[in-house]
Amino acid sequence: MAPALALIVIFVIYPSLRTIFMSFLDENGRLSLKNYVEVLKSRDTFDPEGFSRGFPLGTLLHNLIWIAIHLPLTISLGLILAVILRKVKGGNILKSIIFLGMVMPMIVGGVMVRFMFDGSVGVVNGVLRIFGIEGRTWTAYPDTALLSLIFGSVWLWTGFSMVLYSAGLETIPRDFYEAAAIDGATPLKIFFKITIPLLKPVTVVVTIMTLLWELKIFDIVYVATMGGPGGASNVLALQMYTYAFRELNYGKASVVAVILTASTLLASIPLTKSAGELR
Amino acid sequence: MRRFMIVSLLILSVLLISKTLTVIGPWAGAEEEKFLPVLKAFEEKTGIKVEYRIYRAEDLANLLPAQFNAKKTPGDVIFMWGWFILDQAKKGHVMEVSDIINEEDYLPGVLNAVKLNGKLYGAAYTGKVKPGFWYRKSFFEKYNLKVPNTWEEFVALLEKIKNIPGIKAPIASGDGVGWPLSDVTEHFIITFAGPNVHKDLIEGNIKWESHTVRYAFEKLVSLLKKGYFGEPTEWTMALKQWWNGDYGLYFMGSWITGMVDDPDDLGVFALPGAKGVVFGADYAFIPKYTKYPEEAKKLLAFLCGAEGQKYQVQQGGHIATNKLVPLDAYPPVDREVAKIIVKMEALTDLDDSVGGAFQTAFWDQLKLLWVRPDRLDDVLKVLDEKMK
Repeated sequence: MAPALALIVIFVIYPSLRTIFMSFLDENGRLSLKNYVEVLKSRDTFDPEGFSRGFPLGTLLHNLIWIAIHLPLTISLGLILAVILRKVKGGNILKSIIFLGMVMPMIVGGVMVRFMFDGSVGVVNGVLRIFGIEGRTWTAYPDTALLSLIFGSVWLWTGFSMVLYSAGLETIPRDFYEAAAIDGATPLKIFFKITIPLLKPVTVVVTIMTLLWELKIFDIVYVATMGGPGGASNVLALQMYTYAFRELNYGKASVVAVILTASTLLASIPLTKSAGELR
Repeated sequence: MRRFMIVSLLILSVLLISKTLTVIGPWAGAEEEKFLPVLKAFEEKTGIKVEYRIYRAEDLANLLPAQFNAKKTPGDVIFMWGWFILDQAKKGHVMEVSDIINEEDYLPGVLNAVKLNGKLYGAAYTGKVKPGFWYRKSFFEKYNLKVPNTWEEFVALLEKIKNIPGIKAPIASGDGVGWPLSDVTEHFIITFAGPNVHKDLIEGNIKWESHTVRYAFEKLVSLLKKGYFGEPTEWTMALKQWWNGDYGLYFMGSWITGMVDDPDDLGVFALPGAKGVVFGADYAFIPKYTKYPEEAKKLLAFLCGAEGQKYQVQQGGHIATNKLVPLDAYPPVDREVAKIIVKMEALTDLDDSVGGAFQTAFWDQLKLLWVRPDRLDDVLKVLDEKMK
């Protein structure tokens, strides 16, 4: 117990406290709220003009948009794929192929996303051309850059929820389905009344993990667009990186780190509690 | 047994005595192959071994501050941005090299980027010029195109290229992190606002939203709005597409001569009226924490001296910063580029000189301008904000 506690103190608690402390230090080493004011007032974080002009809207909203689109899509797609592939011959092979996106390093994933949406060689435009639609480099335009990254990351992350749901499906007793079938329940009714409620613990885990991943999203954005064009696809983690390693302003970077940590805790604590109640 | 012990001791002492210097630079692939002979020449001359490691400057910017704070260094001689070297010199992490570098041997002003309070903290290796728009002579001959001498002729040329069947756009736009777009933008600033405004922007003496700078940008925007620039495409891919005839012109640095199949087919012209040209030198420095300071100094003096630079320019694609390198050391196509510097004022790269968060913002805002030229006001406003 003691060695574990020591490791946690050294590698988790001390760096966290140190980061919080640094976020309150101004350039002269004095305690102040200057960094918080600068970061929260910055157009990098929140740009209300974006509502009338178009992207960028600021990293805070970009992360929220990411969550709003990516979370429901990956969860529903993962569930649907897990249910469909459960009864398909060779389903396990297909699942492995889908899961490859998850196994791949996200840096590689970012490069692939970039080329997927490229105007000349991208697979997305290849498909569009079949339908006579002339495409463009979707990641190069402010109105489509963020959406391209989100949809690209859905492809990379769906494998994760699919695998977890597949494991969850195996834990539901077959008797439930047989009894429902004898009672004349339709497959749709069985799905909504048996499968979904019994998979709730898995859904909570998938939601927490996906949410955390979405909040700390960095690598795909860094490689595919570097947050551009004009900050249109910038996210909190990349903003933190820019402050720390480009501006060499560790105080402002720490503020973003604190915001990210607080958001993560805010999102995960209620979900973890509900998972505990389910148990 | 005794003989074995002696041999072992000898081997061990040789291993302990032999010093291996580590050079860190950004060149990989074909560029690395052209740099390694220079290091080999140094090894043969001095008997000091040199190991070369590849790191992008962007990655070094993350790695070095932490290493230096721990009083460690991953390399003995490191190639890096000038502004970064000065920044680290101010923090006391860089060795002064004024005693081994003779400033008079270099192109005027080229060492300013690594000079602090009259002392040199780095040296200029070879550099690359960003002379203007490159074209294939065969392409121009095939479509009866001529190098323009006025702005009107330049616009007419672009219109003519645009009407060639199968052409994507008259000018290829290289993308990546965004630096290729910054190069062409700087060329417009130098041409239409003048070399002094270019220098003032670096110093922060003039606003991006000022009338003079805006005028230069408006010239660029007028071309963007007419669709004369292609969609930003990964720059090496754009290079291939341009070489294959998808585009007529490509704004790129002199390193392009080492990246095409037939350098003799290359031609280049600057925007009519350009009085300056960006000369981007590669800078190297010695971290204070090197284990072999004397050997590292020898290596830096060799690399940045006439001898080392001569080896490099002979390989093609590089232009010497050291004036003692003779013109006949260059391959013919590079010699033409080297002559351009004589006719024009050599200027430092704007975003490399300012560096920091501005550089990233500059690249990023230009990516926006390229696809949304109507947002020029937003772009200039952000650039002013980031210069603060």
